[in-house]
Amino acid sequence: MNAPDRRAGANAGAEPAGRPHAGSGRYIGQRVRRKEDARLLTGRGQFVDDIALPGMLHVAFVRSPIARGRILGIDLDVARDVPGVHAIYTQQDLAHFNVDMLSFYLVSPEVETTPLANGRVAYVGEPVALVIADSRPIAEDAASLVVVDYAEEDPVVTIDDARSGPPVHPGCDDNIAAEMGEQEIDEDLQALLEGAPHLIRHRVVHQRISQSPMETRGVVVSREGAEELTLYITCQSPHLVARWVSLALGLPPGAIRVIAKDVGGGFGLKNHPWKEETAVILAALMFNRPLKWIEDRYENLIAANQAREQEMVLQVALDDDGRLLASHGDYSVNNGAFPQLSECNIAVHMFVWAAYRMPRYGFLTRGWYSNTIGYAAYRGPWAMESLIRETALDVAARRIGIDPIELRRRNLVTLQDQPTTSCMDLPLEDITPAECLEKLLAAFDVAAFRREQAAARKEGRYLGLGIATYIEPTGAAGAITTMTGELAQVRIEPTGKVTATMSTHSQGHGTATTMAQIFADRLGVPYEDVTVFEGDSSRGGFSPGAAGSRQGVIAGGAAIMAADLLAAKFRQLAAHLLDTSVDAIVIDEGMVRVDGAPDKCRPFADIACIAYGEPDRLPPGFEAGLEAQYRYQPPPMTFSSAANACVVEVDADTGFVRILRWISSEDCGNVINPAVVEGQIAGGLAQAIGMVLLEEVRFDARGNPLAATYKDYHLPAIADIPEFEFVHAGTASQSVGGMRGCGEGGAIIGAPTLVNAIADALAPFGEVPVDLPLTPTKLLSLIEGRDLSAKTVDDQHHFIADHPVTVPVSAAAESAPQAPQPAAAPTAEALVDGDWKMVLSTPMGPQEMTGHFETRGQALAGYLSSPEGQMDFTGSVDGANLKFDLKVDKPMKITLKYTLAVTGDKIAGKCKMGIFGSAKVTGQRA
Amino acid sequence: MKPAPFDYVAPSSIEEACAVLAEAHGGATVLAGGQTLMPLLNLRMSQPFILVDLANIAELKGVTRVDGGIRIGPMTRQCDAIDNKVLAHDLPVLVQALRHVGHHHTRNRGTVGGSIALGEPAAELPAAAVALKATIEVRSVRGTRQVPAAEFYIGPYMTVLEPDELVTGIRFPEWSLGHVTLFCELAQRPGDFALVGLVGALAIDSGKVARAGLAWFAMGPTPMRAKTAEQLLSGQSLAEIDPQAVAESAIADTAPFDDAQASADYRRTVGTRLFARTLREALNVTEAA
Repeated sequence: MNAPDRRAGANAGAEPAGRPHAGSGRYIGQRVRRKEDARLLTGRGQFVDDIALPGMLHVAFVRSPIARGRILGIDLDVARDVPGVHAIYTQQDLAHFNVDMLSFYLVSPEVETTPLANGRVAYVGEPVALVIADSRPIAEDAASLVVVDYAEEDPVVTIDDARSGPPVHPGCDDNIAAEMGEQEIDEDLQALLEGAPHLIRHRVVHQRISQSPMETRGVVVSREGAEELTLYITCQSPHLVARWVSLALGLPPGAIRVIAKDVGGGFGLKNHPWKEETAVILAALMFNRPLKWIEDRYENLIAANQAREQEMVLQVALDDDGRLLASHGDYSVNNGAFPQLSECNIAVHMFVWAAYRMPRYGFLTRGWYSNTIGYAAYRGPWAMESLIRETALDVAARRIGIDPIELRRRNLVTLQDQPTTSCMDLPLEDITPAECLEKLLAAFDVAAFRREQAAARKEGRYLGLGIATYIEPTGAAGAITTMTGELAQVRIEPTGKVTATMSTHSQGHGTATTMAQIFADRLGVPYEDVTVFEGDSSRGGFSPGAAGSRQGVIAGGAAIMAADLLAAKFRQLAAHLLDTSVDAIVIDEGMVRVDGAPDKCRPFADIACIAYGEPDRLPPGFEAGLEAQYRYQPPPMTFSSAANACVVEVDADTGFVRILRWISSEDCGNVINPAVVEGQIAGGLAQAIGMVLLEEVRFDARGNPLAATYKDYHLPAIADIPEFEFVHAGTASQSVGGMRGCGEGGAIIGAPTLVNAIADALAPFGEVPVDLPLTPTKLLSLIEGRDLSAKTVDDQHHFIADHPVTVPVSAAAESAPQAPQPAAAPTAEALVDGDWKMVLSTPMGPQEMTGHFETRGQALAGYLSSPEGQMDFTGSVDGANLKFDLKVDKPMKITLKYTLAVTGDKIAGKCKMGIFGSAKVTGQRA
Repeated sequence: MKPAPFDYVAPSSIEEACAVLAEAHGGATVLAGGQTLMPLLNLRMSQPFILVDLANIAELKGVTRVDGGIRIGPMTRQCDAIDNKVLAHDLPVLVQALRHVGHHHTRNRGTVGGSIALGEPAAELPAAAVALKATIEVRSVRGTRQVPAAEFYIGPYMTVLEPDELVTGIRFPEWSLGHVTLFCELAQRPGDFALVGLVGALAIDSGKVARAGLAWFAMGPTPMRAKTAEQLLSGQSLAEIDPQAVAESAIADTAPFDDAQASADYRRTVGTRLFARTLREALNVTEAA
């Protein structure tokens, strides 16, 4: 551990009454090493896949290979025969649970949402059936043998498709999932826009993003007793999951325990369970054995909810001095088929001009259903506001001929302007984007850069500087049912050590460290003596965990308040036992001293032992033990602010972008641990770099996902990320401790900063269309002044595109061989003879063939022909039932045993393939 | 995902491996370093009946000087080839290409022969084999044949290798000491497959190009030999080479495609530039030396 500054000497409890501030202390404000790291870095973390319970079985899903269609039938016969398969469930089996798939806000969905597909499928990858087997490989073997018969329909894939296409959900009039604002621009606003000296019309297209947590989704469910459930689930708050499961499934909340000790990233995807996790929970309730489902990366990329995919047009009117006059925003977001919240992202409009002196703003905002994976949150879900505003301001600066920094200086709300309200009536008291910008400029010599840029351009090198500012709403509490305060419970144990139980949850946030720093400081004990517990719904109290950049702000406040309550109690007891006044008690690194009486020095443990074990020695009326708790309710919202600068070089020969420098100047108030804060900012900036340059979830016109592995979904890797520089502004907030949230800011401000740098570099070639990601092909098109983009839609070089998600469609659903009616039956010859088009559904995919049958009494002869060749056989016939064997030596020597039955013009049955199990055969008369 | 069931054998000799392949009648897949095959198995895109692991066949490993060239055993790991002193001395451009194959971690398991036999059109080693006029030695129970690298590749992931055949060696002819090396790769992230790549060598004799070997990767369905440019360069004195003209003739022998990472038009435009830039820089180095 870095040696903390111990000279300060804590005097816990000596803070004046009212609003205690953390400031910096022996531990608060220090780069203390994380308590979690030793465990995580030596592979001793406990993630969901590390859980193994006795008798546990494994789950795999049958997923839809089409984006839209009706399910005509599901045939489980062949899959059920696979040795090691215990059960296969479809939505029909789960229907009696009557699940309410609630949103994060605990609101019922706008459209019917079921854990497994209910008669229709609405996206590729939608879970249709759930297989329970001894092992995951066996479950996957069986899943590939489930035959689902679909009537495929044309899908609605893009936002454009959604505007004009048929409703994704039967019973809806259109594809609008959510809508707010004015259909037509108000006449007054229109006049302001049109009458302005400068009107910028700026369009941004943001691609779809996969949250890509390092740990994919997963759950282990164990039913214990009639109604008790233990869930190990990778999530953002065990408390929220317990509450969600209780409400969504109608189970008594006391019976549910959710454990998530370590989580490998959430980013919004893991706010609460969705289709797959819910289906596994229901299956475990039905099957009564512990079940495990671990999402693999392929499933994560094709079937876990996704984010962004937005289009926005922002009109900005300015006068000749660059002062903002009016603005209008038209925003759309693709919600997919089953969003975790039907969303039109009103927050985009709340915050788009909040930090600027904008007199007038109007908007229209809509969310659209489509036949794609549902929408979920992603770090800074409203980030479009900063992306479009900051890039529009740079366009305006170039158009009007003002320096982009000067343009911001003229329009940003400064500390002197506050308190004030934004154009959307948001109260602002202490935002500091203008101040962050000045601190940024103190760390970066813009004039020197402009000289360097000019010199480089003469050599044909294109350097660019991007600057962006923003404010971020953090620590929200009180307006939304799940966005509550946070609870801290803290004890000085009889051993003298401190344990605390928090409502927080870490997916890498380091809350066990930052909260311990606070307790150590406020109680006056060594950091090593503090242990923080979280990650288990049976401990602590409710909070939404990591959602909305809140834990440092709110739980930090709760920790301070609880620690101060406990410190006061401890000092009262110490004063009593040491026969002195409370004011004379001095606490230092786990020792209690009395001012002016050096001999009266006691370790914490002595006092604590008495507190728990010797009630006779306690002051009159003193509650035994040393425990305190506090649920802190912060101000409704705490704003963080930042300004970032980034320098890039764009290679005009290739369109490649190289990031040369990046400085973050952010104000997240009092910093508990600069290393943790910088980790949060850097992680968000890395994701922003991915969004601007690399990442993209793509679909073809049929709604097939085209980025199904990390070969095609390009996350930024270590070599793509520069060494970030950090400036901390440190304006204490109004909340207890003075902290401000920092969880999402990097992901919000990174994108406009980088886009602005690229646009600045390429300004000699014109404006860069902001259509993310800015691939080398797009940038070179601008540089060359001609369209270099792909002329064919076909993705011929693709790794996965043609790979079916599950065994595709076969012909008939009503397939079980049926015994013929001997008396009334026509002759075998009439029933059987002739050519049949047949499909053999093998684990390798469907194989089409033509079967030719000739009967002579009970003898059968014929051939099967396919593009690979023709193979003759002989066999037997009994009425409408056929049996024949076929010996093949490719791909290996094996005897295929066919058992088929004819019903009218249809034929169905099985083919036994030796050790490879059985495959279903279906077909009809050719 | 988890692989579909398969049988596994790990023969200890080439003969044994060939016998297994022959008996499998096309149902076998050969496991070299597994850096491509393992993901394909897990995604169930490859579902062999038998996996034939070559790890135990010692004679398939190692780099040796043979009459007039170098022979690389296909099971030589890419990381070992990078560190090989003979390769560094005789064929430095191959080492340069190897450094761009995947990542450190994948090169620890990935093999030279695995990459050569897979035939990924954006991969470095197949193009290097074509450029440097390597011969692929192929064995089966039916016998041994030598296939020029330029004839080995017939499409993306498609080679002339029959299902019962095994790559048992890659022979590179001698490129005289002091030959000019050309290598350039443009990839979105370090370790990604190339958007545009080229590799080659020019043998120099008395200031003239005695022999040229040039090939593109990621510029068509197979490694693309820049035959026209090779012919244009042959016999030219170094001083009279016009890199731009050579680059334009080289791009004529490509057939790039559109994909999510780059368009065909992008590949042609940038390919020409990078070729000219790489050739110009290589010649400058040669002149300075």
